[in-house]
Amino acid sequence: MNLVPDDDLLLIADTARRFGKDVLLPRMRSAEADRKLDAETRRAFAEIGLADLERPEEVGGAGLGCVARVLVNEELGAADAGAALALDGFGPALYPMLEMGGDLSLLAEAPGRTLLVTEFDGEFQVDGAKISGMVPWVPASEAEAVLVLIKDEAILLRDGWTLESIRGAGLRAAGAGVLRIDDAQPVARLAEASGASRARARARLYVASLLLGVLRASCDYSREYAMERRAFGKPIAHHQALAFLITDMQMALDGARLLVHEAAWRLDAGLPAESAAASAFAECIDASRLIGPNGVQILGGHGFMADYPVEKHMREARALGLLFGGFDAAIEESGRLLVTREAPLAIGIGGAL
Amino acid sequence: MDFGVDEATRESLAALRIWGREEVRPVGLEADREARPIPVGHAYFDRCLARGDGRTHWRPEGAPKSGRKTSTLSRLLLAEEFAYWDRGVMIAGPGPGLPELSVISSGTEEQKERFLGPFVEPDRPRWACFAMTEPGAGSDAAAIQTRAQKDGDGWILHGAKCFIGGASRSDWILVQATLDPSKGRAAQRAFFVEQGAEGLGPFKIEKKMGLKAYESSSFTLDHVRVPAENLLGGESRYERKAGFKAAMATFNAGRPIIAANAVGIGRAALDEVILFANQHDLLGDARVRDRIEAITRKVRMARLVCLRAGQLADEQRPNIVEASMSKAMAAQVAQEATSQGLELLGTVGARGDHLIEKLYRDAKAMDIVEGTGQIQRMIIARSLVGLPR
Repeated sequence: MNLVPDDDLLLIADTARRFGKDVLLPRMRSAEADRKLDAETRRAFAEIGLADLERPEEVGGAGLGCVARVLVNEELGAADAGAALALDGFGPALYPMLEMGGDLSLLAEAPGRTLLVTEFDGEFQVDGAKISGMVPWVPASEAEAVLVLIKDEAILLRDGWTLESIRGAGLRAAGAGVLRIDDAQPVARLAEASGASRARARARLYVASLLLGVLRASCDYSREYAMERRAFGKPIAHHQALAFLITDMQMALDGARLLVHEAAWRLDAGLPAESAAASAFAECIDASRLIGPNGVQILGGHGFMADYPVEKHMREARALGLLFGGFDAAIEESGRLLVTREAPLAIGIGGAL
Repeated sequence: MDFGVDEATRESLAALRIWGREEVRPVGLEADREARPIPVGHAYFDRCLARGDGRTHWRPEGAPKSGRKTSTLSRLLLAEEFAYWDRGVMIAGPGPGLPELSVISSGTEEQKERFLGPFVEPDRPRWACFAMTEPGAGSDAAAIQTRAQKDGDGWILHGAKCFIGGASRSDWILVQATLDPSKGRAAQRAFFVEQGAEGLGPFKIEKKMGLKAYESSSFTLDHVRVPAENLLGGESRYERKAGFKAAMATFNAGRPIIAANAVGIGRAALDEVILFANQHDLLGDARVRDRIEAITRKVRMARLVCLRAGQLADEQRPNIVEASMSKAMAAQVAQEATSQGLELLGTVGARGDHLIEKLYRDAKAMDIVEGTGQIQRMIIARSLVGLPR
């Protein structure tokens, strides 16, 4: 047993951390205001070679797995989760293609962004060969393609939809839009139940790991602030009410991260992972409800101001947690799977926890 | 990265599972029903000995070493599994118990021979215990008042101890006492007090809310005389004690064990909840499934946090923060799991004869022993934000 990622993956994570700190973080507010990334950011990202982490090697990717993804996403999310979404062309839309036997040559064309939306994100009507629908918010103002994952089916669209730019509550570096699909003709339809649920699991971990990054940034920033800021003759972190709060925030973060890592490891190992991934996402959202608002709380009035990053963390953590059905869809799926077992936490086949 | 359990540990877990189902759970329920610790002469203890339990890991110099060395990770998983069946029964088991490691690490060779020797191949179930807690000093161990005074070439101990596991049945009690209460930990010494020593006792066997299978006793030491050779480690040890304390400050093995116990209790509650929900056809209710999902998720998380502390211990890396986190989190999670379980049972949970109701009472102690949840948070905060002592 080894709960720590292997050294080669930690090296990749470190590359992502440095990119986040050196490139994304200084541009965090300008990217938010511009609703897009500048050319310099994109160029710098292309240079570090993290763009095609999970694409199979035969279509020009690095062919890495979920553990690599969640490590990288945490690092990018800690700097700017919106930018992380904007930089990843296929993003989680890759997963239905990979897991459901999609034509991988579609990936080789390397378009702009492909958006993944699920039945939980909006309303859809599939009528014979055509699909219509509406998603009130996607973290994008423009896209090359849309992949709709509804239950066991994935539907890839190249046209027949519009994106109307909106303000968006967070993640604005990736843009924000209303997605309207009007009698669109799919370019590909994939139907495969087990692949669809694995795709869903991977998509949840994708968002969960961005969320971990945002939460870590909030924990770190507010903790460091609390050790500097003095009130009543000592650092505010040394008042027990805040010391314990900071402790609880860190515990929530560490616990959620371990669940994400375990679920990612299960996916890479080819073990059943749907319940673990859904619960890991749910736990990240649960942690975000503690950490997001309290990161602001620790800074008091300053926390409320856009001069500090914690208000952005609070907004964006919440927005991320709404994707792909958020908490409710995650616990519903996980719960349904769990109750089919007599002892969900008994050491299972092959000795996996 | 690998969240899999090795083959050897899986085998041990499988054996423990059978032992747990056939012996541990029934004897734990019996103790709870009869509201008393498992009696000294109970056949369960003989079976423990026959199984190979109740022994010390220590061996006299030159003797072959005992068995294979198990990793902390593996011990945590076993502690979880044992507590799954009954945490109280786990503590009740015979053996040199809590003080064993102190004696091995700090005792003189003569003390190891004398006090651990009988536990190498015990002729009958034997116990030993460690007595630190006092009515006026729990988490604040620097505040203990039991006095040790030099008397000729021996010592006189005077004071009171409480909530000591298995004290009345122990061959000897390692008693923590102070030379000077105003000088904190530096003035504290540990003494072997043998059962039957004049002035030791009487023992009051406490009535507890849960974990009834093991004895918790309170007793007085009324000017108990112990010989010089009963001072743990002898006089010379205290000149080199600083190094030992420094080692302890970066590493903790006890708290993750309690955390693992709490995880076991939470897991037992979870399985009972699923069983009950199945029997009463409740799984169609989303609220019930949500509750089961939440219990599973939190227990799984606590287990991982606990194993992380264990892995650091195995790698001999500092784990103070992680050890305290595991304990703080797992205790809370176990309490929540059992409480949510009762919610599902409804009034059945209030009858007082359901396993989840017992687990609800048992779980509470996990947030108290080895440092309360609040103490754990203070320890974490010292590292995290430099909270002053």
